[in-house]
Amino acid sequence: MIDKASFQPPPIGRVVATEQKPATPHQFHFWTANETSIGIGAIVRVEGFGAGDSGRVVYGVVTDGFAYSDLATPLHDVVGAEGDPARAAEHPTVRQEIRLWTAAVLRQRPEEPLQPVPLGAVHVASDVDVAQALRMDAYLGGEQPTAIPIGLYTSGGLEAPVYLDADFLLGPEAAHLNISGVSGLATKTSAVEFLLASIFQHFPPHKGRVAAVCFNVKGPDLCFLDQPGALEDEDRRRYERLAVQAQPFERVRYYAPFKADGVNLNTLRTHPDLVGDVEPLVWGLREVLDYAEVLLNRDDIDAKADAFIDFLADRVVDKEFDDGFGGAHRVVTFADLERLFRSIFDGLELAGRGDTWRTHHIATIRKVRNRLSNISTRCKGLVTDDGPSSDLPWGRFEDRAVYVVDVANVDPLGQDLVFARAVSKLREHLERRDLGVDAVVVFVDELNKYAPGDGPDTYVKKMLLDISERGRYLGLVLFGAEQFRSQVHRRVVGNAGTIVFGRMDSDELATPGYQVLSPATKIKLATLPIGELMVRHPHFTQPIFVRFPRPGVLRGRDGVERFPPAADLPFEDAVVRQLVKLDRRVRPNQVKDLIADRREEDVRRALAHTRQARPQDAFAHFKKHLGGRVAAVPAAARESVAPLNRISDEPY
Amino acid sequence: MSRSWVDAILAAGVVPASHVPEASVGRVDLEEFTGADPVEDPELRVRSLVGAPALAPPSVGFLDGIEQWRVVGYAGVTPIVRAHVAAAIRLREGDRRLRTVAENADELAITRLDRLPDAVRGALAGTGVRVVEIPADDAGQPARALPAARLEVQKARAALERRLAERRLARLGSDEWLVVDGVLSDSPALSAHPRAVGVVKSHGAEYFEGPELERALTLPVLHRTSVFRPKRRGARREIYSWYLRLWPWEGNDLLYGLLRVEARAHPGTVALAPRISAWLVGERAPLATPDRRWDRLLYPIYDVESYLRARAPRDLLPAPGSRLPRTGT
Repeated sequence: MIDKASFQPPPIGRVVATEQKPATPHQFHFWTANETSIGIGAIVRVEGFGAGDSGRVVYGVVTDGFAYSDLATPLHDVVGAEGDPARAAEHPTVRQEIRLWTAAVLRQRPEEPLQPVPLGAVHVASDVDVAQALRMDAYLGGEQPTAIPIGLYTSGGLEAPVYLDADFLLGPEAAHLNISGVSGLATKTSAVEFLLASIFQHFPPHKGRVAAVCFNVKGPDLCFLDQPGALEDEDRRRYERLAVQAQPFERVRYYAPFKADGVNLNTLRTHPDLVGDVEPLVWGLREVLDYAEVLLNRDDIDAKADAFIDFLADRVVDKEFDDGFGGAHRVVTFADLERLFRSIFDGLELAGRGDTWRTHHIATIRKVRNRLSNISTRCKGLVTDDGPSSDLPWGRFEDRAVYVVDVANVDPLGQDLVFARAVSKLREHLERRDLGVDAVVVFVDELNKYAPGDGPDTYVKKMLLDISERGRYLGLVLFGAEQFRSQVHRRVVGNAGTIVFGRMDSDELATPGYQVLSPATKIKLATLPIGELMVRHPHFTQPIFVRFPRPGVLRGRDGVERFPPAADLPFEDAVVRQLVKLDRRVRPNQVKDLIADRREEDVRRALAHTRQARPQDAFAHFKKHLGGRVAAVPAAARESVAPLNRISDEPY
Repeated sequence: MSRSWVDAILAAGVVPASHVPEASVGRVDLEEFTGADPVEDPELRVRSLVGAPALAPPSVGFLDGIEQWRVVGYAGVTPIVRAHVAAAIRLREGDRRLRTVAENADELAITRLDRLPDAVRGALAGTGVRVVEIPADDAGQPARALPAARLEVQKARAALERRLAERRLARLGSDEWLVVDGVLSDSPALSAHPRAVGVVKSHGAEYFEGPELERALTLPVLHRTSVFRPKRRGARREIYSWYLRLWPWEGNDLLYGLLRVEARAHPGTVALAPRISAWLVGERAPLATPDRRWDRLLYPIYDVESYLRARAPRDLLPAPGSRLPRTGT
């Protein structure tokens, strides 16, 4: 993987040490010619010579640079130029200048005894040196290499691939990756897309199967991962150097909830050529009830509500249930649950049995009912009142597949629910080792929003903390991205074994978390071009700057231009499209005739059943579940009895 | 060589010493009296440089030397001096940067051999170091021996500079000039070369008296005197010379910013004197600070000195202010 250096280039500098600026085991200073090609972030090799230092090699990364002349005081320059700045440039002789660099030690060979850096010659690092300096030799070779290319270290006309250790990126030694950077440069998303491609192509076979679940939380960012993007020659050269194939992901599965109409998908990937690949994400009562805690805000969280939700989950849902008023229920959908609630309220009202049902206060019941019905209202399209759910393929995850869950246009409450449930299910299956893959990368953007350093402890934040702290044992790996790392929960970023920085905001760099960086490194971070990153990894003792090629996939913005989203279809056309997707023999007019004058909820239910069953004859299955048209029968007037006791002032 | 011969004589019984005379860090011009003949004007006059076009040679070599010495031991009361002399030429071309094109250095032991014990003499002979002897009359008292040693160091340094300059002159490009820190008249080749210029900062030698002396020493800034010919002294060759004021002396000292320029004794020198003067005035920037002689020290010359000092043996001069016994290895 590493090219052997075929020649020994001349030294580019020399280590100097003074009483004021001594060489230490962790830092040294060296000078170079003024015309040097190295800069901040360059990796250098120091060769010791003479007694005690012969054979010692020290690798360092440049963290700061200084330039000064032999000018004793600026006043002397003014005097020499007689106060005229233009004349200063006309001096017949250029003053002696120095380029003095400070470097942080990356590695010493031999590693013991650890001594100050020898005052030796400084060379630009070659490929081999970079591998040594970053301790990549430990995982680049051997019987089971675990190297994952992340980018090219570039300096002084030389460039060398930089690899991460899969054991420290995806577990079990360390895990998780956190990437920070200002918004709008597409660096964070691009870097993750490239790294995922690199992981998929270099994930060591002995570590098993790997997949990725990416939550698309804004715009079309991740909507075109299966489409090839435009690459320049330089990108292709970098791909070749990194031994990564420049191509879109081969297996991408898209999931998006419906819009409120229940038939048009709530995603920007609705172009007719692409929308066929998007699976609806629809959850019913069972899926929501298991994560009802997500729906409850801090004020709602109390033991009584929890107990009632547990009661519903354990004793009611999917079971034959007697409400105590003579009614038998089998609650499967929100609609069923609503019927049960109505039955309870009516029963209590008619029986005059006060304000308690099965030890649960009616106020608690009303609160839970309110919250559950609220989610089906606010997340209409994701949560269905009735009908079957449509979910990620739990237990059938494919190797090297990306599962994109598009929640960009979903209500924040619904996004929380999607995160919580998807990640919890991933954890459950990984614990049981029956997900279909051995490791899953979960990519979550906008950690500032989902795992802020301050604010309430939401279920999503707790879940992200759980992944961060325990996920590596399971193969559940969090790739998190955010604009301001300082404002993300410290345990989320602190548990990330690999930290990546794109261009950073100056205010962010002024926060205490960046005090370990030199001023020059901060300046470089604040002006980092697109395509360049600073990487910290457990094997690297200092952050390293790398360049990565553009991902081989279509960028979200370009994708929207090339595949503009289709306008929402009328209800009938949307139903037709979904049925045609299931069975190309379906004739549109036949479907439209069938659903004419039918209630939309009935059509949606039948469609959901058909989608779930995926029958050979989709139209027949749909028709069967839609059932016959039934003439409306006027409802009989219901007897009502005035309550004997006033039930409650509870406003629900 | 460096300390090896010092170690050898110390092993032979010399008492170690660590005395660095003040004068060892720089050169001092010999004080003497002479006279001068008028060349450009019947008597010394003051000429303004305003409007004079400056000579602008595309490449210029600057030559200077250094001398450093210290008493490293005493055999009885006879001092043994370790001296380092070095000279270099740094060439400036179109990029205005200075690069070394020639350099030479020498290390010598200065003492009086017949005052040394046999063992010490034998040790010195065994090391191969070049030994320079001070006159027998000066060897008795350190008060006389040390100035004598200093004189020998100066001679060695001057000889080194001269050799280096003459070698360079033989290869001097057709449009290249050589500026020497000091007099040209020591060398036949230098004093006769059309593109060699000597820049003298010390003014121990007096060439005028009376009103002419006053005119020379109260020269206004950006003025020069008319060209004169110093009278020959001993083996020194004939040259032309003139004074040049780089910075206003008022408020400082008569010699502040005052240079004496030497060039070959030739009518062409008189014609070029305004242009050479204007050129040298341009060389006053950048300032040669923090050297305390910056008012007369051209920056390229200062640069040559800095270069030579940076390459001089580090153990020759002790750390300032510290005369504690040496420790460690």
